[in-house]
Amino acid sequence: MSKPNDTFTVNIDGQILLASKGLTILQVAEENHIYIPTLCAHKDLTPFGGCRMCIVEVEGMRGFPTACTTPVEEGMIIRTDTAQIQKVRMEILQLILSEHTSSCLICEEKEECREFQGTIRKVGVTTGCRYCSKDGQCELQEVVEKLRLRQINYPIYYRHLRVEKDDPFYDRDYNLCILCGRCIRVCQEIRTANTLTFKQRGCYTVIGPAYDRSHLDAGCEFCGACVSVCPTGALSEKTNKWEGEIEQKTTTTCPLCSIGCQIGLLLKGGKVIGTLPAEDPLVNNGQLCVKGRFCITELVNNFHRLKKPYRTHDGIKVEISWQEAIKLAAEKISACPAEDFGLLISPNCSNEDLYIAQKFTRAAIGSHQIDTSARVFYGAGFNAYLDLMKMSASLSDIKNASLVLCIGLDTRFGRSVIGVEIRKALKKGARLFTIHPREHNLALIAEKWLQPVPGTEVDILNTLVNLSEEKRKAAPPAKSKWRIKSYEDELSGLVEMLKKAYSPIILLGSEFLQYKESPQIYEAVRKLTQKVKAKVLPLPPQNNLFGSILSGSYPELLPGGFSSTEEQRLKYLSKKWGKNLPAFSSGWNAEKLLAGTKLKVLYLIGEVPTGFRPPADFIIFQNIYPPAPFFEADLVLPSAAFTEVEGTYINSEGRIQRVRKGVEPPGEALPDWEILCRIAQEMGRKGFEFSNPCEIREELSNLIKGFDEREIDERKINPLICEGKFVVSRSGLPIKKKDAKNFPFLLTASSVEDTYRGFPLSLWVEGAKKLFAEGILEINPEDAQKSGISQDDEVIVTASSFEETWRARISKEQPQGILHARLFPFEKIGPNPHAVRIRKKNA
Amino acid sequence: MTKEIEEKILSLKGKFPKVKTAILPAFHILYQESGYLDPEGMEKISELLEIPLMEVYEVASFYTYFPSEKTGKYIIRVCDNLSCLLSGAEKLIGYLEEKLKIKVGQMTPDGLFTLSTVECLGSCGTAPVMMVNEDYYENLTREKIDQILEKLSKK
Repeated sequence: MSKPNDTFTVNIDGQILLASKGLTILQVAEENHIYIPTLCAHKDLTPFGGCRMCIVEVEGMRGFPTACTTPVEEGMIIRTDTAQIQKVRMEILQLILSEHTSSCLICEEKEECREFQGTIRKVGVTTGCRYCSKDGQCELQEVVEKLRLRQINYPIYYRHLRVEKDDPFYDRDYNLCILCGRCIRVCQEIRTANTLTFKQRGCYTVIGPAYDRSHLDAGCEFCGACVSVCPTGALSEKTNKWEGEIEQKTTTTCPLCSIGCQIGLLLKGGKVIGTLPAEDPLVNNGQLCVKGRFCITELVNNFHRLKKPYRTHDGIKVEISWQEAIKLAAEKISACPAEDFGLLISPNCSNEDLYIAQKFTRAAIGSHQIDTSARVFYGAGFNAYLDLMKMSASLSDIKNASLVLCIGLDTRFGRSVIGVEIRKALKKGARLFTIHPREHNLALIAEKWLQPVPGTEVDILNTLVNLSEEKRKAAPPAKSKWRIKSYEDELSGLVEMLKKAYSPIILLGSEFLQYKESPQIYEAVRKLTQKVKAKVLPLPPQNNLFGSILSGSYPELLPGGFSSTEEQRLKYLSKKWGKNLPAFSSGWNAEKLLAGTKLKVLYLIGEVPTGFRPPADFIIFQNIYPPAPFFEADLVLPSAAFTEVEGTYINSEGRIQRVRKGVEPPGEALPDWEILCRIAQEMGRKGFEFSNPCEIREELSNLIKGFDEREIDERKINPLICEGKFVVSRSGLPIKKKDAKNFPFLLTASSVEDTYRGFPLSLWVEGAKKLFAEGILEINPEDAQKSGISQDDEVIVTASSFEETWRARISKEQPQGILHARLFPFEKIGPNPHAVRIRKKNA
Repeated sequence: MTKEIEEKILSLKGKFPKVKTAILPAFHILYQESGYLDPEGMEKISELLEIPLMEVYEVASFYTYFPSEKTGKYIIRVCDNLSCLLSGAEKLIGYLEEKLKIKVGQMTPDGLFTLSTVECLGSCGTAPVMMVNEDYYENLTREKIDQILEKLSKK
């Protein structure tokens, strides 16, 4: 807030304008719609004064100060467009353009050329000059147009720089760069990823990471912030490079993790051609990660998308009409006894889809056998994780925290929006601690990185809990041959800091989600949170895990988070739905599916639980992509992706967020709820006469709090209210001590979490292949040398319970003696860690 | 990098209101130590001063005075700007190349001399000028160069 005496008047071009202290001349001019040309200035970045386009005359000041860096002062008399300024400005613009291909800027044929670029020919001919893909969306073009520059009186110098196309997602042609430094500033100031810099000086200056490393090696997060701010065509996105200007923009919610970033879908010709972060102060505040910024376009546009329903007869694909498909599905399901039917639905689906799926299972079939892959993902720790989710803090608590403790969190590619918030807190003086077994991007900026040996993280957390209980009794140090470091001293210091901290927050990533001791880990996190009065924010990889719990997509849970054993609630729902619901008994679930329990009909909605045919007589596979050939689904139904439907998600904070339709689904694909409703109606069941998601929400709003349209628009945070408990199986076998000789390595494995509807992003998105590789074994260089393994060798990993083959990736980030495997989403080898031995294949 | 040097660099940390300012003094220390800014040394500076490597590199690539590769015992920097060029610097550079049997930017095989050119040394009145390590040599001629090189080789 500016005090009254901080407000004064200035004179710009003869207009008396109100200005306040701290503003620059450019800001005051822009506020009053006075045009001053700029190239390097950007509203979100600090002034730079590099391009010199915004020079003005200020009475009493020497020379031509730049409007973007000069603060206004009382009584200033400023002129922005005198004949002399015009002359100098034109000269500067010419100098900038003397190193820039300018056929699209200054050309005698420009007007005519543009008009006839669309000439119809029989062969592909490029009409007009095509140096740059940003034609029509270029700020340099705008400035040239506004200043009416017609010719360049300097010789044009082409820098002959190699166009950099090696990194995924965006190309860099620094021959088009005007060195405005916006990309560097956005990388340093907003993302604080510190990847880019000016290299060399004078006429040799180029932009790039230190030592000419690739962006991938230099720690780039591929968030695309630099591409968004580039005023020229120097930086361009690979997927939509030559698409031209967009026609329309729709704001929706990204489904690729539980943060629920608001994204703008860029639409053209009925197609999503790109995504940009939406300015949403509640969630992502104009930031995105690589998944939301670059992966979505390819994910929803891939030509492999399912377009028509089909069934398989003896391995042969027969395309059928929707009518036939619905009839076939209804027939098979009607003929199937309730206890032999199972439905698996992805937590990537919207609340409306999830609700209809569980209503379909309960009311149309009379079974509780509906589940999601989250049960397998969280295993024995599901209940403990649920307890943590009930305590979820808000995303805005991160930047206001005075101490941030990250547990198993890496914010480089996924959740990078959280990384930006953490760095905001650090700028305000917060302290950052991180617990992670492997090198991760937060380790560089954390005050302390506790690196537990796999299997000892629970000791660290329990020690923290014990210390915080004032008993001052540390847990006995775990004796392990793999122990690298002991942390007793650091831990008591950390607890003291946590206790004293004004507003501590604990962020839970996904590293420890698939550990044998994960129930104890979550339990310890919960206790610690309560003891030190910290906030906690679990960040599950499944975007709508919250929604799947509230909508009742599990055998143990009814809509609204009620337990399925609660008879009163069952009766209430029976009355509402007009069908007597059976009493709950723990029958089939996702774990049983993997264990091999056979069903008559298995209905998979957005789930790919196995790499081969799961045990069932009849499999309905409903997804946006076809199953792998070995999967042998009997009936395949094409669903619509999130860009093609209306609906809602709930993010990890508990905020209900809208999903908005941007384009029509490809071919005949339909939204999941619609397919389910049509099958139920075909089966003659009542209560499925919905014609749009709004009607489903209306029914939902009676069962779950916060679901009427008005409340959704308010976007408040609803805490998770869930009374039900999951029936969880005990986790895997402990490592036998005596095995240490036979199995000299410790292996942790994480199944890829960058998935959408059961498929890894790297399957459908070209650039993601470089970022999120699967089937990879990461190994320390020294371990690799000792075992005679080199990069990309096939390595056989043997444990007492499995033998797998992965491709080796030698990585300095991996501590000695410890291996890390990145698994395919359907690959399951049991909870971490595993004692293993390795050998090179064919050796 | 020795412990002693590390401590020297660390002690720079509190000296300036902004840590970034300590990059240049740290470079001087590293330069005196290893004769050039080696990548490992720069990484160490970034680690010790807690400044992102890319910011350290930015400064290093800006100041041409700090060589980024191993150099000879003597670095000869000949000015090739206008005043010196008019006074025959170009020919002298050619003479030096011929005499040392290396090109500009290279080092003699015996590790004694590195030849490079430099922007204005601020001594146009006594052009042509060159700098050998930290000493100026002015009003250069072929004979003078012969003498200088002979003297230096004997040292």
